Formats: sequence, structure tokens, C-alpha cells
Amino acid sequence: MSEQNLIEVAHVDFAYGERPIYRDLSLTIPRGKITALLGPSGTGKTTLLRLIGGQLRPDNGTILFDGINVHALKRGELYELRKRMSMLFQSGALFTDLSVFENVAFPLREHTKLPEVLIRDLVLMKLEAVGLRAAADFSPNELSGGMARRAALARSIALDPDLIMYDEPFVGQDPITMAVLVKLIADLNRSLGITSVIVTHDVAEVLSIAHQVYILADGHVIGGGSPQEVRESADPRVQQFINGDYDGPYAFNMQAAVPYMEDL
Amino acid sequence: MLKAAVGSLGRWGLHKVCALGRSTIMLYHALIGKPDVRKHFPLLIAQIYFIGVQSVIIIIVSGLFIGMVLGLQGFNILKDFMATGSLGPLVALAIIRELGPVVTALLYAGRAGSALTAEIGQLKASEQLSSLEMMAVDPLRRIISPRFWAGFISMPLLSILFCLVGIYGGKLVGVDWLGLDDGIYWSGMQASVDLFDDIGSMLVKALVFAVACTWIALFNGYDCKPTSSGISAATTATVVQSSLAVLGLDFVLTALMF
Repeated sequence: MSEQNLIEVAHVDFAYGERPIYRDLSLTIPRGKITALLGPSGTGKTTLLRLIGGQLRPDNGTILFDGINVHALKRGELYELRKRMSMLFQSGALFTDLSVFENVAFPLREHTKLPEVLIRDLVLMKLEAVGLRAAADFSPNELSGGMARRAALARSIALDPDLIMYDEPFVGQDPITMAVLVKLIADLNRSLGITSVIVTHDVAEVLSIAHQVYILADGHVIGGGSPQEVRESADPRVQQFINGDYDGPYAFNMQAAVPYMEDL
Repeated sequence: MLKAAVGSLGRWGLHKVCALGRSTIMLYHALIGKPDVRKHFPLLIAQIYFIGVQSVIIIIVSGLFIGMVLGLQGFNILKDFMATGSLGPLVALAIIRELGPVVTALLYAGRAGSALTAEIGQLKASEQLSSLEMMAVDPLRRIISPRFWAGFISMPLLSILFCLVGIYGGKLVGVDWLGLDDGIYWSGMQASVDLFDDIGSMLVKALVFAVACTWIALFNGYDCKPTSSGISAATTATVVQSSLAVLGLDFVLTALMF
């Protein structure tokens, strides 16, 4: 384990029942940097985040977080380790029965014994960082999609984690919200030094802030490097994905068992 | 054909055994470990309010009507045998031994059990359970455990309430309406109801039903497919399985205790 990598994924195989997701997947996530995981839908990018978080267990291979094998831990130790990582879910996953303020305060109340005054100040600071201090007393269902995601982001930085995993942060957002989220992610990484992993297929947005990019397809990494290297990659699969061509090595048609003409 | 039938039977059996295993693991992880009183006690109180207190009205109304029907039917039949004096014991024993715990459990499964399944299924579908996990908060300890204990505490109390109201309902019809003597109703009851045998076994039944219904409801929610059809199927499964479990367990417990 080298000092500069926070996460090392080595030779991971994973399948949902009969359906293989990863075959011999290996990649490293450098400390303090923004790493983007790109790939077509259904390649299991979110699955990788769940594997790193220990919610799923690989069939083979190891995942090291700061040198600790995530899947060798006992239940209690795993929960201890998760205090150092956080995840921003696609839906935000705010607790619907708590206000925005209480949502952000939740991890602080759970894991610290800070006095109420301090919790209040911390929550307001986190909300200010995502621009939602004014929405502290709102209930989550009063927020727009973009605001909900920002509130969830405030909650996931509440404990100042070492790692944030963003699961499709840009999906379904208008261009302004998208720009706000991109700026927030970049700012948080810069000012707090949080290692960030972004799973997405919004190529343009993420290439503008990522330090390192991996492109996942067919169960393993098909290309990677700096955004510049990815843009200049000679691999036709990478090029198809980056440029958004509708046909190419990844065929427009899903592979069918019988030819079209026989099926009619 | 036959092979396929045997195969699907085997698959069904394996599936059920796996589910039983998963549900046991869920309950085990939810219940072991030292509770943190400062954090968990308020959660428990909130759940007792939701599961227990909010079920009080339906329990009272059902208990009252079942007691009144028993009083009416009992009185009319006992009258033919000039034995209306036994109405008190009839109502009390029928309610305490059987109807109280069983009907309470069935109502509990329909009102609280289905709500628990739907709530937990919705928490799962909206990724709130996953996000708890990733916030290093064990959803089994935080979500499942207080609900389980709240059911365990509430059900015997609801059963007792049901019995009291039911006996009073029998008195309303038998004594106040049909004119049976007050003293005969109560003294017959006092003489025939045994604290340990009858009320004790009522409480045992209520506790067993509480564990069964709550466990079934929580597991169906926790294990459901995180889609709207998955949640609705899980809610249905909760009511069906709980009702069957209560009736089946009732027979076993009655055979063992009486």
C-alpha cells in the first residue's frame, strides 16, 4: 500500500447471482484527489462504491481503505471505519421525517458528544458551505432535487470524512444546479482535502474537475489517466464514450439470441 | 414435467429456509449488544407511541363489540339451560384465554405490522437504510431494534386492555341491558378465572404473538424488493403470514398450556 493511495482495489470479482459485474477489477484512488469513475449505465459503478463501503462483499480480491482490508473487518470494526467515509446517494437519501437541520445534525449527534450550541454552529457552517443555511428549517420534501442533493452533501461532510463517494451527483439536474454541484465538489476537495470519488456519466462536467479518470466497461477498467490522457486516448471504446457516439464498439442494439429477421 | 415440479418445490423450500436464516440473522444483530440508553430510549418511546398508543382506539372498539356480542350470544344460549349465571365466567374465560390475545394480535398485524413493513420498505427503497449504514449507524440497531422492543412491550398491554374492555362489554349487555344480576356476573368470574392459569397464559400468548408478528413485519420490510410493487407485496405478506402464524401458534400454545 503506497502512502499516496487512499483506496486500492485489487483483482476484484463480483457477481449479482448469475450476472457477473466485475472480473479482475483493479484500480487505485489517490489521496486528496478527485477521481472520476465513468462508464455506460449498468456497468456497476455504484456497485463499486458499495463494495468500497463494505455494503457488498466481493467474490474474490481485496479492497484496501487506508491499508485496511474492508471486507476482513468484523461488523463493529466496519462501522468504525465507515465514520471515515461518506457517500452521497443519487436520491440524496435525506431522512424524510427530520428537518434539513436535523438531517445534517444527525451524524454529529450519533457520533459525537458535542454540546447543542456547538452542534448548531457546525450544522449552520456546513449548510452555509452548500448555500442552504436559509433552508435549515425546511423539511426534505420541500426541497428541489438539486437542493436535496446539496443538503445531503452538507450531511455527508458533517463529520469531516477522509473520503466522499458521489453516486451520480449530476443526474437529472438543470445546468445551473449542475454547475453549482461541480463547483461545490471541487471547492470541498480543495479546501478540506477530502478524497473524492465521483461515479457519473456526465463526461464534460466531471472531466473539468477530476484529477484522475477511470473508464469502466465489461467488468474492468478499459481506460484511464488524467482527463487530458483520456480525451486523447486511442481506444475506440473510450472515444465512443467520451464523444457520446451512438454506435461504435458498444453496439446500439442489445445482443439478441436470434437474428432480427428470424424473430419477426 | 415431474422433474420441473420437484425442482420448483426444492427451489421454494430453499428460498424459504434462506429467508428464515436471513431473518434470524437480522433479529440477532438487532438485539445483541449493549443498548445506549441515551440514544435508544427516546426511539423506543416514540415507537411505543406509534405501535402501542395509536392502536388503543381500535383495540378498545373491537374489544367492546366482541365482549358485547359474546354477552348477547352467551346470554341467549345460557338462558335455554337456565344458566345465565355462568355468563360472567363464559365471557371472561373466552376473552382471556383465546379472543383477547388472538384478536389483539390479528388487529396488531393489520394496523401496526403492515405499517412497520411499509415504513421500513420505504426507508429501504429511498436508500435511507443504506445511508444510515454509510453514516456508520447500524440500521438494525437504530431502526429494527426499537420497533421490535416496542411491539414486545405494547402487545401484552394491548391484550390486557382488550380483555378488560371485552369483559366490560359483556357486562353492558348481560347486566345493564338483559338484566342479569351484577353480583352474579362478577362473582362467577372471580371464582372461575385463575390468575396464573388464565391470565398468565394470556400474557404468554401475547408475548409469543408479539415476537412473531413484529419479527415478521420487520423482516418483510427489511428484506423487501425496494420498488413500489415490492413494498406492497411485502405488506400483504406481513398481514397474511402474521395472521396464519398467530392462529397456528395459538393452537400450539393452547395445547401446551391448557
